[in-house]
Amino acid sequence: MKPLTFRRLAWICGSLLVVLFAAIVLALKLGAVPISMTDLVVNLARVAVGQSAQLPTEYRLIIFDLRLPRIVLGMLVGGALSVSGAGFQALLRNPLADPYVLGVSSGAALGAIIALIAAPQIPLVTPAAAFLGATATIAAVYFLGRREGQLDSTTLLLAGIISASFLSALIIFLMTTLAGRELRGMAFWLMGDLSTPLPPSLRWIFGVGLIIGVGAIYTTAADLNLIATGEREAMHLGVDVTRVKLVVYISASLLTGLAVAVSGAIGYVGLLVPHVMRLLFGSDYRVLIPTSVIGGAIAIVVADTLARTVVAPTELPVGAMTALAGAPVFIYLLRRRLP
Amino acid sequence: MLIAITKRHGHLAAFYSFLAAAALFCAGAAQAGGADQQAAREQHTETPAAASVVVTDDVGRQVEVPQPVRRIVSLAPSVTETIFALGAQDRLVGDTDYCDYPAEAKLKPKVGGAINPNLEQVVALRPDLVVVTKSLNRRETVDALDRLHVPTYATDARTVEEMIESIGRLATVIDAADQGKAQVTSLQTRLDELHRKLEGVTPARVLFVVWTEPLISVGTETFLADALRLAGADSVIHSQQDWPHVSLEEVVRLQPDYLIFANSDTDHALEDFAALRQQPGWRDLKAVQENRLAIISDAINRPAPRLVDAIEQLARQLHSDIFAPQPGPASRTLKLQAVAAR
Repeated sequence: MKPLTFRRLAWICGSLLVVLFAAIVLALKLGAVPISMTDLVVNLARVAVGQSAQLPTEYRLIIFDLRLPRIVLGMLVGGALSVSGAGFQALLRNPLADPYVLGVSSGAALGAIIALIAAPQIPLVTPAAAFLGATATIAAVYFLGRREGQLDSTTLLLAGIISASFLSALIIFLMTTLAGRELRGMAFWLMGDLSTPLPPSLRWIFGVGLIIGVGAIYTTAADLNLIATGEREAMHLGVDVTRVKLVVYISASLLTGLAVAVSGAIGYVGLLVPHVMRLLFGSDYRVLIPTSVIGGAIAIVVADTLARTVVAPTELPVGAMTALAGAPVFIYLLRRRLP
Repeated sequence: MLIAITKRHGHLAAFYSFLAAAALFCAGAAQAGGADQQAAREQHTETPAAASVVVTDDVGRQVEVPQPVRRIVSLAPSVTETIFALGAQDRLVGDTDYCDYPAEAKLKPKVGGAINPNLEQVVALRPDLVVVTKSLNRRETVDALDRLHVPTYATDARTVEEMIESIGRLATVIDAADQGKAQVTSLQTRLDELHRKLEGVTPARVLFVVWTEPLISVGTETFLADALRLAGADSVIHSQQDWPHVSLEEVVRLQPDYLIFANSDTDHALEDFAALRQQPGWRDLKAVQENRLAIISDAINRPAPRLVDAIEQLARQLHSDIFAPQPGPASRTLKLQAVAAR
């Protein structure tokens, strides 16, 4: 492991932020409605210095009320999913772990479906129920995943997989027996969807949740480096393994719950981004966590831009795009690393 | 100890400042959007033709509709058909990928699907009013358009009568009240006449086939089931679901008098039917063995004026004895045998 200096961290994060910025500008420019680069840059600059944009109302609505909020939502969701992926991979010491393996998305989906059946007319009840569903599943899996009072990686993983398939069966049951008019959007939600803008109130809750979750995981980064070499070794070196595991588990679950509640189940990002960052910058969690936040944001912004444009004006669910683009990228990176 | 902590968490401060910067960026972006929205609102109210009326739509929402309505976007095929029937097609500036009737509807600028319309495209068309329908569009779409200050008017019909009333109301909202009255009167007259003719006729027990694999039919709470009733047919499937999956076993037990297929391409429907005759389950249905099927226009699937055409078509096929002779079941049986022989 390369020694970590502030210079190196700043250099890595800085270059990733440049990529993110480029992705944001592209995402603002591209879409079903063409907007010229000059118009975009001039008006972004005007808004940045506090003047109002000189654009016809519909273009202003498209850039500032449709594309920008969607990009912000995508960045938040991408960052949350990637960091929780990195957290679960460290916690379970399993490279295949990702936020959805533990049944979180199925729990969230079940919560959302129950809300849609019970109270479809109340706004915000769906994301709230999805979050409750996610946290309830996480708590259940946590208690199922303990052995002799200790959080056991294998048991936890199995408990997660079993819960996920049980909850998926419940979802199918509800969808075939109770399917009414309100469940139409469900298919989109299950595939992950960013086309519904986040209400401003939720944007703040999400932002604060993201900072708390990522911050909490980051405080354990040095300990996670030691745990990666083995739990017993880490314990001998003075790491409070139980506490670290609990912190990472709760924070990663919080992040996943938030992401699923507002965007549905977007797969692959939580699995893929931490691996890509590991291949690029090494497996030091002190680097991996911040780079995963930015990398996840880049991944979702790019994937969603593709989802919006490849068959415009029809939109694909972003989850379909992350899976479609994610698998080949993953395989390429994996093979390139082999001698 | 202190040194150890500092060493371990050496980059925490830097990291937190990054997170804070990111949060500020997001907040700033949200703020910029908000300020801009306000500017857009102000500009909107300054427009000279800012007169508007508040109407109540079919689902009870209060909608502020700018007057006059010059640019309409339709987010459902039934709405598109209704707008054409009301003669307001010149003001229809956009519709969905699935709006295929009348043929000119296909030439309108497209905004994507009904369930996932492209909001950018909708906004870019500068609509005075977006018309949606509750049975097809998503609430999220309407909420998002509300936030963009694009007025949306929702239609909703669970019965044929409600559909006719809904057409009249929409006509008034889009300044086509006269055409609306004419449509309503004509549709109502035709249905009344049909009702008179079918007086005392025993309804045919039917299975409306939406899809064959898996078998999907219609529930009792839909305008479709109501349309069947008006055509002198009674669905054997009694389900609260809109689109119930039905077990073939149950259909064999119920033995419907007729199978109904909605397909504007009659030959295609006949080929499908011929294929079903070979399949276990289906071939045990007396209606299949005796070629008792009705093929009607797919207009039956859309709560728009053509629905009444489809109802009349179905009534003629199911109760041919009380209608004047039509190129109905007799010639169809011959055609079917020809198809089956292939």
